[in-house]
Amino acid sequence: MRTITHALALVLTTIGLAAQAGPPQVTYQDILGGLKDPTKWLTYSGTYDGQRHSPLTQITPQNVHQLTTQWMFQTGQLGAFQATPIVIDGVIYITGVNNNAWAIDARSGRQIWRYRRDLPESMILCCGPVNRGFAVLGDRLYMSTLDAHLVALDIRTGTELFDVAMEDYKRGYSATVAPLVVKDKVILGVAGAEYGIRGFIEAFDARTGKKIWRFHTVAGPGETGGNTWPRTDAYLRGGGSIWVTGTYDPEQNLVFFGTGNPGPDYYSANREGDNLFTASIVALDADTGTLKWHYQFTPHDVHDWDATQVPVLGELPIEGQTRKVVMFANRNGFFYTIDRVTGKLIVAKPFVETTWAKEISYLTGRPILLPNNHPNELGVRTCPDLGGGTNFMAPSYDPNLKLFFVTARETCATYFAYDQKFEIGVEWMGGGTVRPRDQRNWGALRAIDPITAERKWEFRYPTVSASGVLSTASGLVFAGDGDGNLIALESQSGKHLWHYMTGVALRNTSGTTYMLDGRQYLLVPSGTTLTAFALPQ
Amino acid sequence: MTVNRMIALLLLVPVVALAQAPKPSETHPPGKNPHLGNADSIKGGLVLYRVRCGNCHGLDARGYRGPDLTVALGGMPDERLFQTIRKGVPGSDMLPSSLSDHEVLIIIAYLRNMNVSAPVDTITGNAENGRAVFTAQCASCHRVGETGGRLGPDLSRIGSARSHDSLVSEIRTPSEWMPPGYEAVTLVTKDGQKIRGVKKNEDTFTIQIMDARERLQGYRKAELQQLVFDKTSLMPEYGKERLTDSDLNDLIGYLRTLRGSTTR
Repeated sequence: MRTITHALALVLTTIGLAAQAGPPQVTYQDILGGLKDPTKWLTYSGTYDGQRHSPLTQITPQNVHQLTTQWMFQTGQLGAFQATPIVIDGVIYITGVNNNAWAIDARSGRQIWRYRRDLPESMILCCGPVNRGFAVLGDRLYMSTLDAHLVALDIRTGTELFDVAMEDYKRGYSATVAPLVVKDKVILGVAGAEYGIRGFIEAFDARTGKKIWRFHTVAGPGETGGNTWPRTDAYLRGGGSIWVTGTYDPEQNLVFFGTGNPGPDYYSANREGDNLFTASIVALDADTGTLKWHYQFTPHDVHDWDATQVPVLGELPIEGQTRKVVMFANRNGFFYTIDRVTGKLIVAKPFVETTWAKEISYLTGRPILLPNNHPNELGVRTCPDLGGGTNFMAPSYDPNLKLFFVTARETCATYFAYDQKFEIGVEWMGGGTVRPRDQRNWGALRAIDPITAERKWEFRYPTVSASGVLSTASGLVFAGDGDGNLIALESQSGKHLWHYMTGVALRNTSGTTYMLDGRQYLLVPSGTTLTAFALPQ
Repeated sequence: MTVNRMIALLLLVPVVALAQAPKPSETHPPGKNPHLGNADSIKGGLVLYRVRCGNCHGLDARGYRGPDLTVALGGMPDERLFQTIRKGVPGSDMLPSSLSDHEVLIIIAYLRNMNVSAPVDTITGNAENGRAVFTAQCASCHRVGETGGRLGPDLSRIGSARSHDSLVSEIRTPSEWMPPGYEAVTLVTKDGQKIRGVKKNEDTFTIQIMDARERLQGYRKAELQQLVFDKTSLMPEYGKERLTDSDLNDLIGYLRTLRGSTTR
C-alpha cells in the first residue's frame, strides 16, 4: 500500500513538474475564455468581442492615484510601439518596429529572447515600419510582417517555425495587423491601399501555414459587390486594406473586420460606384471566409476614411428586446450600432463635428451627403480630416455601464484631388490634404451610450490623441492625451483621477492589465518604452 | 521542380522586373522636363504644390512663412529648383523631400506655368534707417544675430524666409497669425498674480511659457485661477500712426537684408 502511495506520489510529482516546466499551451478554449483567467491577455483586444474591458478590480478609482512604476523596458530602437502585448504565465510577448519582437519577464522587465526579421531593403510602406502585435495558439506566436508574410514563432525561443507569403511586397502589399486566431486558423489581412493593392482577408492553418481561404475586400467582376466598381480593371487597384484586428462571434461563427479606403484615396472619377467592400464592416464565416453580410459606412469614400476600427460586440436592450450588436465609432465621424445578426443599422449619430453628411438614413443605411465636400484640385474644406473622428486606436466598452469609450478627434482639412498616374510601388493617393490656417484641432475621450449614440461625457485634450482605451470593472478608464499623459478617469463620470507623463504619446497602444503574484499590473507601451505600473506592496 | 512551378517562375520574372519602384533622383533627370506645358501635369502639380508646399509658400505661391516663389523662381533654373525641392534648404523649415521624380517634375511644371515675374524683389527701402527703426521699435523682443530680445521670433534669417507682403502683414496685423511657440497667453495664479507671456508648450495638465521678462516657467493648470489663450499677439499692431509707410518700407528694406549672415 505504502509503495503504491509512494508510486502515485511520484507520478503526481512528475506530472506536476512537467506542468510547471512545460511551455505554455494556449488553446482555442483559453482564448474563448477571454480575460476570465486574470493572469493572461491572449488576443489583441483581450477578448473576442473586442471590448477591451478587464474584470480586474484591485486598482480602483479610490487607489489609482497610488499607481507606481514597477519597471520599464526600452526597445533601444527608433520607432514607436503600436502593439498590444500578449501576456501568459508571467511572460510578455510584444512586437515592435521592423518586425522586431521580444519575450519579456513580466516581473522584472528583463528580456528573455528577441526576434528580428530579415526584411528586404526597399519596402513600400505608407505609414512607418510598425506592427500591432502577436496572436497566440498552442506554443506558437503569429506575426504579420512588413513584406506581407505570416510567420509563426516558437514561444520558447522566438525561432521561426513557418514563413508564408501572402502577396508580393514589391507591388505595394504589406502587413502590420495583429492576427486573430479562431479555432485552428490564423486570420489576418494586407495593407497598401495607398499603392494600388487589391486588399483581402486570409485564413491560414495554424499548424502548417497552409492557406485555407481568402476574401477579397475589393469585389471583382461577377462577385457580390462587383457591380459597385466600373467595368474596368480599377478593382485590381481598389485598396481595401486590413490593418486593425477584427473580432469574433462564436455563436454565429462570424469574424468581423473593418476595411480600408478605396484606391486612389481622393481622386475617384476612375472608380465610380460604391466601391464595395471598402470603408465597410464585413461579417465572414470563420471556417470558409464566406460573406454573411456587410455594411458600408462610407460608400465611394473620397476622404481616406478607412473603416479600420475595432468592431466591438455586445448585447443591448433595445425596445424591449436584447439585441446582439456591433458598435463602431467610425473614422468618418459617425458612431454606429448595427444588428450583428442581420447587418442592419440600429442607430447612427455623429460623435465629432462632421460636415460631409447630414445624417445616416435609417431607411437605406446610407449617409445623406451634404454638398461641396468632394475633393478637387482647388481644395474643399471638410470635417473631420483624413485622420478621422477616430482612427485605429482601440476603443473599450463597459457592459455594466453600457458605455462605449473612444478617443475622438475634432479636426478639419482642405482636401485636394487630381488624376494621378498609377505606377507600381509609387504612392497613389490622387491628392492630399492640408490643415487650414485657422483650424485648431483638439481631442477628447468620449463616453457614448450605444443605445442612443448620444454622448454621456467627455474629457478634453488640447491636441489630438491617437491613444487606445482600456476600461476595468472597478470603474476605471485608462487613456492617453496627444502629449504623452497616461490618464485614469472614472468611467461613470469622466472625472480625472490620476495621470502620469510617459514622455511620448500613446499611439494606437492602450493599457493591458493582468494579475501576477497577487498584484494587478497595468502595462503601457508608449514610444519605445513599455512601462509596468502596480499599487505599492 | 515541377512544370507548374517552372511556368509560375517564368511568369513571375516580368512581374518582378515591372515592380521595381523608381528610385528618387538626387538631380534633375536628363533632358527637358516632359511635363512643362502639359495641362494634366500642371493640374496634378497644382494639387501636389498645394498639399506639399502651400502651407509655407502660400496657396498662390506668393509667400507666407516661406519665400514668395513668384519672385524667387524667376531666375532659378529647373535643375536648381529640382535640387532645392529634393534636398530642402539647410537651416530652414524646408526639409528634404522623398517625392518621386514624376511628382517633383509636375510641381515644377505647375510653378513654371504661373506668371512668374523676373527677380524684382529688390530692396527699395533705406536699410540704414530701417535698422534704426528696428533697434528702436523691435529689438526689445526680436533678436538679430547676438543682439535683441527673445520673446518674439529670431529674425536673423527673415530676409530669406518671408515675402515683402507677408512681412507687411505680420508687422501691421501681428495677431492674424501667431506662430507656434509665440501664441500669447495670460495666466492668473491662485494668489492673484497676472502673468502674460508666450506659450512654448502645453499638455492636458500643464503649460510652459516665456513671460514678458523672458523667464521660462511651467505651471500646473489645476493650480491656476485662470488661463486665457489671448486672441491678440504680445506684439502690438504697428498701424500707420505708429509706423509710417516710409519707416515701414525702410524697416522691410533692412529685414530683407537679413539672410543669416549677421554682423556680430
